[in-house]
Amino acid sequence: MERAVPHAVPLGQMEVFQTLQRLHMTIFSQSVSPCGKFLAAGNNYGQIAVFSLSAALSSEAKEESKKPVVTFQAHDGPVYSMVSTDRHLLSAGDGEVKAWLWAEILKKGCKELWRRQPPYRTSLEVPEINALLLVPKENSLILAGGDCQLHAMDLETGAFTRALRGHTDYIHCLALRERSPEVLSGGEDGAVRLWDLRTAKEVQTIEVYKHEECSRPHNGRWIGCLATDSDWMVCGGGPALTLWHLRSSTPTTIFPMRAPQKHVTFYQDLILSAGQGRCVNQWQLSGELKAQVPGSSPGLLSLSLNQQPAAPECKVLTAAGNSCRVDVFTNLGYRAFSLSF
Amino acid sequence: MLSTLSQCEFSMGKTLLVYDMNLREMENYEKIYKEIECSIAGAHEKIAECKKQILQAKRIRKNRQEYDALAKVIQHHPDRHETLKELEALGKELEHLSHIKESVEDKLELRRKQFHVLLSTIHELQQTLENDEKLSEVEEAQETSMEADPKP
Repeated sequence: MERAVPHAVPLGQMEVFQTLQRLHMTIFSQSVSPCGKFLAAGNNYGQIAVFSLSAALSSEAKEESKKPVVTFQAHDGPVYSMVSTDRHLLSAGDGEVKAWLWAEILKKGCKELWRRQPPYRTSLEVPEINALLLVPKENSLILAGGDCQLHAMDLETGAFTRALRGHTDYIHCLALRERSPEVLSGGEDGAVRLWDLRTAKEVQTIEVYKHEECSRPHNGRWIGCLATDSDWMVCGGGPALTLWHLRSSTPTTIFPMRAPQKHVTFYQDLILSAGQGRCVNQWQLSGELKAQVPGSSPGLLSLSLNQQPAAPECKVLTAAGNSCRVDVFTNLGYRAFSLSF
Repeated sequence: MLSTLSQCEFSMGKTLLVYDMNLREMENYEKIYKEIECSIAGAHEKIAECKKQILQAKRIRKNRQEYDALAKVIQHHPDRHETLKELEALGKELEHLSHIKESVEDKLELRRKQFHVLLSTIHELQQTLENDEKLSEVEEAQETSMEADPKP
C-alpha cells in the first residue's frame, strides 16, 4: 500500500514567526511559587510563562498540562533573574525590577504591582540586572548586574538603602551566607567578594583566577555561578568548578569538568551543577562525579529545586537553558518530561 | 412422603451449615484484612523512619567528605612541630653568626685604631726630622755668613 505523500501545509506568517521564536528562545531564569505548585520561567524575549507543576506531575497529565497556564510580556528585555517571596514574584532584567502578585498571576492581563530602578551612576545607559537575592532576615532584596555594584533595596518601603562597590566588572551571580549574614558576589573580574550587610563593607575577597589549581586562562577568569553552604562555597565559570573553604580561603576540591558551569547548588550531600553541556552533573564533595543526567537543551543556564514544604508531591528539580523547554527531573536519576513554552 | 421430608430437612441442615461456614469465613477475612492494614501502616512508618535515617546518613557523609577535603589541604602543608624545630635551629644559627660578626667587627676596629696611631706617630716623626734638618741648614747658613763677614 502506497503511503500518501503529505501535502505541505502552507504556514501562516504568524506561525512561522512563532516557530522561529521558539527555536531561538533561551530561558534564563526560573522561580517556584510559594505554594510549590507553579513554576515561572523567564526567557530572552521578556516573557514569563507560568507552568502548573501539580497538573503536569499528576497521573492524568496530558500534553496540554506541559504547556504554560499563562504567558505574559513582563519586560522589554530578557528576564535574567527571578525570585519569589511569600506572596510576590520579583523579576528583573533590563535595569528594572518588577513585582507581580502570585495570586493574580494566573489571571489574564496581570499587571505589575510595582517597578523600581536602582540609582545608577550614569543615566545614559541602563545596565542589566543579572542576579537577585532575597535576604529574609532583613526583608530586603539585593540586585547586582551591569554597573558593578550591589544595590540593597528594602522590600517594605521600596527604597534603595545601600550600594556596595568593589567589583571592577559586571556581576554575574549572588549567594547568601546565612550564618553571618554575608552576601557573596561573583563577576566578570574573576573575584568572589564577601560583603557584610550590617557594615556594608567588603569582608573577604577571593581571586579565583590567581590560584593555579583551578584557573583556566583559556576560558577566561569570569565567575558564572556561586553557591554557598555557610562554611563552604562552590564557584565556577571560566576557572574550573571548585569547592572552597571560606574561613581559610583555600580551594579544597576541584571538580574535573571541562565545560564552564553556569549554575551550581548544594543539595543534601551532593553538589548539582549545570552549564555548557547537555547534562545536569551530580558531584560528591570529594570530587567524584556521581551521575550525569542528560537534559533536552543543548546548554543549561538555570536549575531550580522545588523544596517548598507546602507541596511535597511537587518536589522536583527543573532545568532550563538554551531552548524553549524546561526539563523536569522527579528523581535525580533521569529526566521525567519537559515543559515547553 | 417421609423421605421427601427428611430430604428437605437434610438440605436445610446443609444450607444452615453452609451459612455458618460463610459467616466464619467472613470473620476470618475481616481478621486478615485488619492484620494487613496494620502491617501496611507499620511499613509506612518504617519507610518514614528509613527516610529520616537516610537524610541523617547523607548529612554524616557530607560532613565526612568536608573533613576529608580540608584534611587533604592541611596535609600539603608541612608538620607544625618540624617547622618549629627548624625555626629554632635557624634562630640559634643566626645568633651564633651575629656573635661572630660582632667579634670580627671589634677586632677590625681595634686594628684600624692601632694603624691610625702608628701612622700618626710616623708622620710626627717625619715632621720632627724635617724640622731638625731645616734647623741644621739654617744654622749652617748662619755660620758660613759669619765666616765670610770677618774676612774682608
